[in-house]
Amino acid sequence: MSRAAGWARRYGALIRNAWLVDLQYRASITLWLLWGVTEPAVALGIWWTIAGDGPVAGYARADFARYFFALMLVNQLTIAWDSWYLDSWIREGELNFRLARPLHPAHEAVAENIAYKARTAGMILVVWLLVALAWPAVRLPLQPGRWALTALAVLLAAAMRFFISFTTGLLAFWTTRATAIMDLHAGVSLFLSGRIAPLALLPPAVAGAAAWLWFPYMLAFPVEVLTGAAYGAALGHGFAGQVLWLGVWIAGYRLAWSRGIKRYGAVGG
Amino acid sequence: MRSAELQWKIEPWGKPRGTKPVMTLRIPHSAFRILGALWRLNLAEELQYRANFAASVLGTLFWIGTALLTLALFFGHTTRLGGWDYWEVVVLLGVFNALTGVVEAVLRPGIGRLAAEVRSGSLDLVLAKPVDAQGFVSFRRLDIWRLADIPLGLGLAGYALARLGRVPSVAQLAAFAVALVAAAVVVYTIWVVLMSLAFWFVSVENLSVLFDAVYEGARYPVSAYPTALRFVFVYLIPIAWTTTIPASALTGRLGPGIALAAAAVAGLAFALARLVWRMALKRYTGASG
Amino acid sequence: MASGITAERLSKTFRVKVRDPGLGGALRALVRPRYRDVHAVREVTFRIEPGEIVGFLGPNGAGKTTTLKMLTGLLHPTTGRVEVAGFVPWTGGPAFKRRIALVLGNRQQLVWDLPPEETFQLNRAIYDVPEADYRERLAELVALLQLREVLEKPVRQLSLGERMKCELAAALLHRPPILFLDEPTLGLDVTAQEAIRGFLIAYRERHGATVLLTSHYMQDVTALASRVLIINRGRLLYDGGLDALVARIARTKRIELVLGDGATAEALAAFGELKSFRFPNAVLEVPREEAAATSARLLAALPVADLSIEDLPIEDVIRRAFTDGVEEDDA
Repeated sequence: MSRAAGWARRYGALIRNAWLVDLQYRASITLWLLWGVTEPAVALGIWWTIAGDGPVAGYARADFARYFFALMLVNQLTIAWDSWYLDSWIREGELNFRLARPLHPAHEAVAENIAYKARTAGMILVVWLLVALAWPAVRLPLQPGRWALTALAVLLAAAMRFFISFTTGLLAFWTTRATAIMDLHAGVSLFLSGRIAPLALLPPAVAGAAAWLWFPYMLAFPVEVLTGAAYGAALGHGFAGQVLWLGVWIAGYRLAWSRGIKRYGAVGG
Repeated sequence: MRSAELQWKIEPWGKPRGTKPVMTLRIPHSAFRILGALWRLNLAEELQYRANFAASVLGTLFWIGTALLTLALFFGHTTRLGGWDYWEVVVLLGVFNALTGVVEAVLRPGIGRLAAEVRSGSLDLVLAKPVDAQGFVSFRRLDIWRLADIPLGLGLAGYALARLGRVPSVAQLAAFAVALVAAAVVVYTIWVVLMSLAFWFVSVENLSVLFDAVYEGARYPVSAYPTALRFVFVYLIPIAWTTTIPASALTGRLGPGIALAAAAVAGLAFALARLVWRMALKRYTGASG
Repeated sequence: MASGITAERLSKTFRVKVRDPGLGGALRALVRPRYRDVHAVREVTFRIEPGEIVGFLGPNGAGKTTTLKMLTGLLHPTTGRVEVAGFVPWTGGPAFKRRIALVLGNRQQLVWDLPPEETFQLNRAIYDVPEADYRERLAELVALLQLREVLEKPVRQLSLGERMKCELAAALLHRPPILFLDEPTLGLDVTAQEAIRGFLIAYRERHGATVLLTSHYMQDVTALASRVLIINRGRLLYDGGLDALVARIARTKRIELVLGDGATAEALAAFGELKSFRFPNAVLEVPREEAAATSARLLAALPVADLSIEDLPIEDVIRRAFTDGVEEDDA
């Protein structure tokens, strides 16, 4: 059996398992989804009110609507909760049996992400289509080129967010407060990744700082590719940034894993 | 048994005195003893964990900070939000934080775990005890450190008031106090009603997430939302009564008389919570009608 | 040695924080934390040949689980050498992990919400078990463990015994030469325990796997293991056959009597240590060498309806090994 076929079989089994388990938990998953959309919905509500007097930094009401709906979809496609799982596994001793298997635990995590995202993104897409029927403001043009570029941006963002999440989860090897660091990262990304407002609305200094970090590439950039706000040179810039930061976080993950496992083997779990 | 409990009877409206009460609330003195014992145990447990307190306070300060920054972002592009000034909204934010303290310290660790208890059967253990199940489930655990959110939130509200240059009159302060307690009762009701769903949807483990979704809208004054949502937030999912009303009472946007309305809403809410709980419990234990 | 286990002066030391109980102690720990060294495993040396079933006994906190983790590569030793299936476990990687199986009695590896079959398929993919081998091995395991009816029920609907059997099946699909079982019969009823013991014996007979088994239940040990390692407070107290252990520790035997009329406690006490007297039953403890002679004298002197000579219960033997040590010195 070739190596590729072996990996395909492994991922097939892992994704299938994850999909079937998610099926059992679809009610819970729907509630998480509901929670996931309330934050952008509330933000949209506020910006909608503010933009009632006229466009804000080039964003009219319809622009805000499109932005936040695109955000809901892209967020579901890129968000990674592995940090919380890893922290729980490490603290509750659930890492042991996974380490005794000839399969790196990260693969299980990736497969679960794929299954979960396929399911929830599908749900968001359905809701978006229904809303778009009644509300023209949220409609997006159907250009295949644009959707292909979006798919690429989303894939890169999802990969990067996965490595960010997994690496911060590995901090649990060193501290019981890994969740606090995750909260800190989440709090900062509220602003710098565009969850509260399009980056164009941030004070220039803040937006400038964001441009030097990975946050815009987590969410804001793929959203702007989808809505069409990013085009031309900005596209090239954005993709380059995504690739760069993905590389940085993969390196960070590898460092954290090798160091963390050594420490785990020394102090146990 | 009379002297060993607190009693509160809700008389039916408009009927002559002495008519059978609609509902009688009895809190035996032993309840306070039991709660005291539980909370002392909690305190001893919590003190074991190094730096939990510092972590909790830092966490709250961090989220208050992000909320203030979010507001600053909004107000960077407008001067009024739903007719409210920046510092008026900060007062509301302070109230929101104080209530969050109540939620995180008392409600989430207690009634927030109801779904898990129903599923695991631990609820049966509670029902077998000689205590009121609703009271026990609601208040048996405290996340002590989160109580710090209450003074932090109120402090923020006070600071914002100072920045507004307003000194609330005694009547306003009293109205605020009443409205705040009423707000806590309304929040409690929302929790009870949402968590009671656990009796019908036993397999859903994260029902408490439903509260977070619903409550997210309480961060901002109700007037900042479109009219349709405003109706929902005042009459249907009454989160307007949790933050907007108390903040309005404190800043003087609404006269002190609003406290009466708030108290009435709280009373209704509490009765509703009790009713829903008993219906849910009847269904759970299989009792009829 | 491709499927044996070697441990040489294996040691593991942890640094832990010290906390006094109560409110005052908690506050003190907040301000000035103190540490101490815990020697979980001290200079443990043993060698297990391929195909052996070895019981690993010790009270809670004795160092069993820590040793097991070092053998499976989850912990690395502070000092000492360990080799399992020809690998150093800590650095063995996937090649090593394919040659072992780890089954934990108190922690589950089956996917909770799905039928066991799904976990089997997953393990097949993880361990790269070829299709034909998988089918054949699954059939064998299903037959030996009697899993036909439970294969398609979600794991959460299975009884504890059924779950454990499925855990074992899941762990053996890749037919590892070495099997580590940590309390596999924990919490199971007698029937399930016996089923699992029977299975392990049959499996070992067929495939010659090396099995290291930790357990609290003496029946596990007596039924399965001809050899035991006894560990307490990090030290290996005994390594050898069970019979030899009994002979070494159990200096006494028990004479169980059913008495006739006229026999009294005082009369019995003259023959040995009277352990219990509930007329007509009595238990007398006498030195091992004198058991036969004393029995003859009892039969002659007192009205005895029935008499049997029994060994000290294994539990007592082991417990004495823990508390008194095997060589009469405390560890």
